[in-house]
Amino acid sequence: MEKIILEHFQNRKQEEETVPKNIPEIVSNTVVDKFFLEVYSLTIFTVRFFKEVFKPPYEFNELMKQSFLIGYKSLSLVAVTSFIIGLVLTVQSRPTLAKFGAESLLPVMVAISIIREIGPVITALIFAGKVGSGIGAELASMNVTEQIDAMQVSHTNPFKYLVVTRVLSATLMLPILVAFSDAVGLFGSYIAVNLKGNVSSYLFYSQIFQSLEFKDLFPAFIKTFFFGFAIGLIGCYKGYNSNKGTEGVGKAANSAVVFASLMVFIIDMIAVQITSLMQN
Amino acid sequence: MTIETSTIETKDDNKQTSSVVVEMQHLKKSFGDKEVLLDINLVMNKGENLVILGKSGTGKSVLIKCIVGLMEIDDGKLLLFGQDISELKAKELTELHRKIGFLFQSGALYDSMTVRENLEFPLRRQVTKVSKKEMDELVKEALENVGLSDTIDMTPSELSGGMRKRLGLARTLILKPEIMLYDEPSTGLDPITSKEISNLILEVQKKYHTSSIIITHDRECAKLTANRIIVIKDGVCAAEGSYAELVKSEDPWVRSFFE
Repeated sequence: MEKIILEHFQNRKQEEETVPKNIPEIVSNTVVDKFFLEVYSLTIFTVRFFKEVFKPPYEFNELMKQSFLIGYKSLSLVAVTSFIIGLVLTVQSRPTLAKFGAESLLPVMVAISIIREIGPVITALIFAGKVGSGIGAELASMNVTEQIDAMQVSHTNPFKYLVVTRVLSATLMLPILVAFSDAVGLFGSYIAVNLKGNVSSYLFYSQIFQSLEFKDLFPAFIKTFFFGFAIGLIGCYKGYNSNKGTEGVGKAANSAVVFASLMVFIIDMIAVQITSLMQN
Repeated sequence: MTIETSTIETKDDNKQTSSVVVEMQHLKKSFGDKEVLLDINLVMNKGENLVILGKSGTGKSVLIKCIVGLMEIDDGKLLLFGQDISELKAKELTELHRKIGFLFQSGALYDSMTVRENLEFPLRRQVTKVSKKEMDELVKEALENVGLSDTIDMTPSELSGGMRKRLGLARTLILKPEIMLYDEPSTGLDPITSKEISNLILEVQKKYHTSSIIITHDRECAKLTANRIIVIKDGVCAAEGSYAELVKSEDPWVRSFFE
């Protein structure tokens, strides 16, 4: 028995001696380890963001410019999609509620669905597609054409100027876009209700506001900050660390959308769990 | 190879008493297992145009990126204006880097900004604030210097390759650097535009008394602009001399650059 154990340890010692020195390169050969290396570098990137965000000088003008581009320029897309979703959701829900004679609950049901879940998640996904990919592609292309290096040579901290401003803008603009999206979605629902009925706007909205509670609004609003932060951060991370070459630009834009959309669902799942725990 | 401090002759035939502005001693730089610069020793004197030649991938651009602080050296000494950068505090090093201008191979113009905004960008990032009037004058002067006064409200995408290079140069010169680093200034340009850029480099040397390192593959550019040429091979300085001297080099490999 002792001999077997001794042989085992001798074999292990030999294995350890044959492990090459450059471990990260070898480790990165497997998909799982590549994933963990990615998580590690994203964590370093996030820590750097929090270090830089409080350090002067503050790029206020660039923050305003990015907020305009990220927020204001997304309004029309958000308005169209939210209106359609509010309208479709109402039209689709009506027959089911009619079966139970609960048609009068239609505005309340649609409002809670939109405000609690559909509004934030759909808007965040659209935001990830438009803004996340845009940031990823823009920074990657700046990387390829040496604009980030040029910024550094011009004595500007490119991380602060490009990353911090974009992440902050995305974090602050998404909640506003979600509030706007909710309002437009409810308006779409009001139109849909009136397609097969005659409900006054006063009745429609008073029914909604009477049934809504703080616990419906607050968690839904808070989670949108996290959605915006994740989308901005991932877009910047993918773009800023892209490979040189035009292929890197496409990859950065694509992976920014995929990864950011996935993060939206993960954050949503965590937010729902926390909210339900707090309500129990 | 360490090059002795000497009296250099600028292209406008003015004799200048030289003082060293950039010095490299046994400089090393590698990327992972790949050793790019093995043992670089060079000296650049004040007011001199130093051309660095070498095959692609020999680390010429890496060398100037180390000077401007875009890359860190692995080993050896790098002295800027007589000061060893390893002994300087971050703030002191930033101050030294402010005296260095860098013209990127692609021009590296900010696509999202107009020509005017591109030129204003480095001025706005200065420690000392520049007034709007002063800024307008500097932008106008910078554009006149490179012959692009009509393009002030254009975007970089509307400019040709040569114009982008010239604008890149104007953006670098607007801060009046003491050292100019040119990364392949004539690459991708036709012979006429390439000659225009070379002449512009000489004008910059004459007007602003800058010391320049010019990385190039272009024989004509080297011939026109160089006070001295250094040829890099296998990570070390393989040959050094004036254009006329290197053309007659006994080493056929060095000679091949000039044939």
